Amino acid sequence: MVTSSGELDFTSTGTGISSSHGNMATEFHNLQELRHSASLANKVFIQRDYTDGTVCKFQTKFPSELDSRIERTLFEDTVKTLNNYYAEAEKIGGQSYLEGCLACLTVYLIFLCIETRYEKVLKKISRYIQEQNEKVYAPRGLLITDPIERGMRVIEISVYEDRGSSGSSSGSSTTSSSGR
Amino acid sequence: MPVGLSVGGALGDPSPSRSFRPSRYVPVSAATAFLVGATTLFFCFTCPWLSDRFSSFIPLYNAVVFLFTLANFCMATFMDPGIFPRAEEDEDKEDDFRAPLYKTVEVRGIQVRMKWCSTCRFYRPPRCSHCSVCDNCVEEFDHHCPWVNNCIGRRNYRYFFLFLLSLTTHIMDVFGFSLLYILHHTKQLDQVHSGVTMAVMCVAGLFFVPVAGLTGFHVVLVARGRTTNEQVTGKFRGGVNPFTHGCLKNIAHVLCSSQAPRYLGRLRKPQSVQVQPPFLRPPLSEAQLAAKVLDNGIQQSKSSLEIMESQSTDAEPPPPPKPEHRYPGLPHTQNEECSLLTEAPPTPSLYKYRPAYSSPGKNHTASTHSSKMSRGNSMTESPSVPVTTGQPSYRSDPSLSSRGGAGCRGGGEGGRAGSGGLGGASAFGGRSYPSFTDTLLQSAAASCSSSLRSAHTAHNALGPLISEGTTSTSYKSLANQTRNGSLSYESLLTPSESPEFESAAHELSPPRPHPPHSLSTAPGPPPILGYTSPFLSAQQREGSLQACPAPLRPSPNRAFLRPTSSPPSRAPPLSPRARSLGSPPPGPAPGHTPLGKSLSYAGGAELQHRPSSSGGGTPMPNSTIKQNVANHNTHSHKPAGGVKKVTGVGGTTYEISV
Repeated sequence: MVTSSGELDFTSTGTGISSSHGNMATEFHNLQELRHSASLANKVFIQRDYTDGTVCKFQTKFPSELDSRIERTLFEDTVKTLNNYYAEAEKIGGQSYLEGCLACLTVYLIFLCIETRYEKVLKKISRYIQEQNEKVYAPRGLLITDPIERGMRVIEISVYEDRGSSGSSSGSSTTSSSGR
Repeated sequence: MPVGLSVGGALGDPSPSRSFRPSRYVPVSAATAFLVGATTLFFCFTCPWLSDRFSSFIPLYNAVVFLFTLANFCMATFMDPGIFPRAEEDEDKEDDFRAPLYKTVEVRGIQVRMKWCSTCRFYRPPRCSHCSVCDNCVEEFDHHCPWVNNCIGRRNYRYFFLFLLSLTTHIMDVFGFSLLYILHHTKQLDQVHSGVTMAVMCVAGLFFVPVAGLTGFHVVLVARGRTTNEQVTGKFRGGVNPFTHGCLKNIAHVLCSSQAPRYLGRLRKPQSVQVQPPFLRPPLSEAQLAAKVLDNGIQQSKSSLEIMESQSTDAEPPPPPKPEHRYPGLPHTQNEECSLLTEAPPTPSLYKYRPAYSSPGKNHTASTHSSKMSRGNSMTESPSVPVTTGQPSYRSDPSLSSRGGAGCRGGGEGGRAGSGGLGGASAFGGRSYPSFTDTLLQSAAASCSSSLRSAHTAHNALGPLISEGTTSTSYKSLANQTRNGSLSYESLLTPSESPEFESAAHELSPPRPHPPHSLSTAPGPPPILGYTSPFLSAQQREGSLQACPAPLRPSPNRAFLRPTSSPPSRAPPLSPRARSLGSPPPGPAPGHTPLGKSLSYAGGAELQHRPSSSGGGTPMPNSTIKQNVANHNTHSHKPAGGVKKVTGVGGTTYEISV
């Protein structure tokens, strides 16, 4: 019964053994592809730009290691947006002044209740970086780390390489010369 | 020591638990005691009369001022001043001893120096300083205040400043109202209340002078936009302060800016974004494509030129190009510090990697360096050792390097005593030329009479270096090193690869400071033959038609050595060298003093020019001569009587004086 149904199955697909083998081969191929994974190859660090003083600002200069990984404009947009966020956080204006006065009046107990302006902007930055990672950087094998984790000294961009692909293209972008 | 304060957080623990030092808490305890104690006494003994006599507003006012003072005091004491978390290992990719101690950046037109912090492992941002008491780098470091037992930095400077202002006000209030009380109780001074009030007055008066002085000092600093650190170190004395924005803006920056975030103790969100291949790649621009083609062309022509020059007959693929080509920006790479380097010239004479080579957070590169440097203590010991055979047969193929490792283990072992020379070499070539080190290892091995095992271990020490180089590494300098490291090992190996070294030697010759033709010329400081130009190698090869080195296998060597009196252990170390160079002086015979080594080498070099007298007429020990004659057979001089010719495998003939 089983065999007959099996045979029926074969014939019913109308392709016969070869195509079923072909399907199996495809499955194998897909499984192999699924086994490909990315490994961390290198880290690129974007330094702070101190030309305007100690305000938090990062260099928009495009690092050469990312030359073959991401378009220049995308990278510069990301850094410029981050710089704008930080400028907004550090802006001395009405809101920050009121916050200070309120803090003084409540003997700083207000810090237990509300979130400061800077913290609010940091949350926005964190969401922005997450979104950029999902949409732009991860598809290109890169990951941005929030600078706050590094004391806001550098933006760390992790460069990943496809570990499971064929040997000729393995190796990080900077160590791509593996002497072949 | 008992475990004390730990100022760590969930993220980036700045420093390990420090030992409990009670002396640190004396000033802050005293300050707290005086402040709280005196004020409490004032409220208990003086204020009741004041509120009755004048109004109850007085105690209320004093209470508010006191509360404000206390709040600022607590904030200044307990708030994180802006501590930078330690940099992680992968941020510091540069070889420490090649990186400068200072980097300059331009801040609003003024050059500001950033110093490398060896504790925190990063270049300190402008206005950042490392507090030795807290053992942390603090952002916009003002000073370490003992009265609050905390650093004053970007985050808590405002509270410290307000504390000073409010404390001055409070002291003045207490003193004033106490004086008012005393003046109205001049006839009841023997009362307890009066006595206490007078005591409070004294304390207040005593503290007023320093506190007011400090307050005035900080008012000036705030107006000028400077930190205490900058003021006392005289950074902007007579110069321009790049961090000032004008008096009003400076005051606004201190008092009205939003509370800066802390870097420690932050909850680190786990990375939720997955990175999965296949990856998108940007389209290469035409310029990039052209550069790639050109780059390949350059490599190709270079290696073909080498092959032509070296007259190599091997069919191996051309060696990879020099490291500088591979990593075009190696000295100026886009790693952590380079982008700032490009802005202003670094101070070349100061290097951040100071003598403390052992550093816990070092990556493999650095540890390798440190291990090499530690071996390099006996630099003076063996100036001639660098002679070696430098086989840098430049092979980055993993299989070959592993073969190299195996083969070397089998044969190229040398003396542990040779580690002195080895060390010298490594210090000498300490600038990441492990191939140099390796060849030195071999020559040192040759020169030492100890067992094969020691070189084996020394080799193995570099084994991981090699294996790392063959895998894809994330650190350019490490990859660079290991590639070089694999060179010399390869060369040791199989005779068939011997022509390799010449092409590789050419590549490596530029880094070597030695003159290329040193061997054929006077016997001065021995050259590193392996790194000399192909011309020399070819010349030597011509001259040393007979002197093909014996292979690594022990049996022929034993046969080779039987006629001589040298111990068998010497032979294997010798052969690789001799073989690989196709010409002499791997190095002095084992068991010699460093001086002896150089002499023997020099003597060996001279031997080439002394056709017949090398038999036994030199002042050097016979064994040395035998070795040298055997090895220095470049000019195939006719040996004098008493010299035995021994043929090794591969057509090698050695002439040994018996």
